[in-house]
Amino acid sequence: MTPDAYARARAAAPRAMQPAWKSQAVQLGFALMAVAALAGMAIDLDLRGAAFVAGLSKLARLASTMVPPSDGGDLARIVRALAETFAMAFAGTVIAAVVALIPGIVGAKTVVAQPALHFGFRRMLDMFRGVPALVWALIFVAAFGLGPFGGVLALALADIPSLAKLYAEAIENCDDRPMEGLRASGARPLAVLRLGLLPQVAPIMASQTLFFLESNFRHAAVLGIVGAGGIGFELEERIRIYAFDEMAFIVILYVICVAVLDTVSQRVRARLA
Amino acid sequence: MDTAPAVETFERLRRITLRRQRLEAAVGLLAFTVVLVVAFQRSQFFGAEIGGDPLGRILTFLDRMVPDLRGEVLFEGRQQGGSLAWWYYDLPVWLRAGWQTVEMAVLATLAGAIAAMLASFLCARNLMPYAPVRFAVRRMLEVIRTLPDLIVALFLVAAFGVGPLAGVVTLALSTFGSLGKLFAEINEQVDPRPLEGLDASGAGFMRRIRFGVVPQVLPNYASYALIRLEGNVAAAAALGIVGAGGIGVELQRAITYTEFETYLAILLLIVGMIFAIDIASEWIRHRLIGLGGAR
Repeated sequence: MTPDAYARARAAAPRAMQPAWKSQAVQLGFALMAVAALAGMAIDLDLRGAAFVAGLSKLARLASTMVPPSDGGDLARIVRALAETFAMAFAGTVIAAVVALIPGIVGAKTVVAQPALHFGFRRMLDMFRGVPALVWALIFVAAFGLGPFGGVLALALADIPSLAKLYAEAIENCDDRPMEGLRASGARPLAVLRLGLLPQVAPIMASQTLFFLESNFRHAAVLGIVGAGGIGFELEERIRIYAFDEMAFIVILYVICVAVLDTVSQRVRARLA
Repeated sequence: MDTAPAVETFERLRRITLRRQRLEAAVGLLAFTVVLVVAFQRSQFFGAEIGGDPLGRILTFLDRMVPDLRGEVLFEGRQQGGSLAWWYYDLPVWLRAGWQTVEMAVLATLAGAIAAMLASFLCARNLMPYAPVRFAVRRMLEVIRTLPDLIVALFLVAAFGVGPLAGVVTLALSTFGSLGKLFAEINEQVDPRPLEGLDASGAGFMRRIRFGVVPQVLPNYASYALIRLEGNVAAAAALGIVGAGGIGVELQRAITYTEFETYLAILLLIVGMIFAIDIASEWIRHRLIGLGGAR
């Protein structure tokens, strides 16, 4: 290799041409720093191996009380709670879907052609997308009392930013030629939206909303733990009194319901697409 | 030429199709309405027993949650009612708890990702030749994914006691379930030629993975793990509510003392924290993908 070619290779790939020990030392340094940082975190959180092992043995003991699962003699109540959980998920999803339409349309680049407004709007949605439904549920239950009302609101509020974003993207991604054609033939703005935009975006939006119904059924089950009613409330009660056989029964029943809902919703979504 | 029969056939078929479509739409709409009414009724959304008037209740509550900040004393000390310091009266404690939440998320994501990596080699079609092993590992990951985090957390708090340990184990478990599946899908898409080369030179299972798979998939793994980390920070904040450590414990405390203003303060803190983590993680992910391309 001529010195000239070597210099060119160095310029092109400085990291590949440096001595091996140097990059290895740097890598080792980074690895040590990472391990030290992680160890520091573990110490800060007071995570100890002994506590973990002790917890595992207790876990095994608790798990052994789960078999055989038992309905605790009140199957009707559990089924009612499951229905209530589904009702919460359904109501929350419908509210979220209706409310999200407005920010969804405003947030679409093709509808509101004002970059600053669009950017600010999207960032605002982004900020609140991270807040889990549970965090909303906690405060709604405190404010509105025990019961599903707070749960429905929490689910709706947690979904609105995500659904609005998805709706906005669906609107942005649609083909604008049908709308142009309608405008060219003299249709009024409302007719342009109804005949040019809606047929394109409605199936996509419906399919996304169904997807949120699936996920809300999972979230709704959890909201009961903070007092929003439904199956989560029943579960929390059973765990508090260490009735793990009844807990196992409810969890199994719930998992079956999730699977059924997912299958039905997948079928419908496949038909929509 | 007589076109009447063809037109008639067309009209008849059109009528049948239209009638069927209308019937389907009507049945669908009816079913939807029934479910909707029952859902709102069962979830007591407009329930009279809690006063009705959902909008009014939401507005009253919003009013209670927003603090009475006063412009002229905004930057005074915490003794002064209406100042920012008075609203965020326990900021050092909250920041500390928030940092603990981040630590929980980081450790749980790492532990979950490592476990997921091991499992993903066992259930990838091109790496694990024994179908029963693949089947068992995949079903296990599926079951773990179905269980809601919080219910697992409640159970684990009963076993491991109140504190971050239960939260970390819960999050690690759910990370394991979701990343295991994603990693397996990445594994199945690797370029088979390095694997063939290793096979030809007589490498075993471990060497095939170390030299044939890991160099190809590591940037993708890291990218997925970072996305999961973003979600885990939010999840860790929520887990605190059942006693699993971190900022959620402070949220729960604010609710117990019905300090709605404090709740809003901590909530905004969590939103800011999640936002910051998202930005940092996005930056790292973009760099990883860039480096992955250059290598």
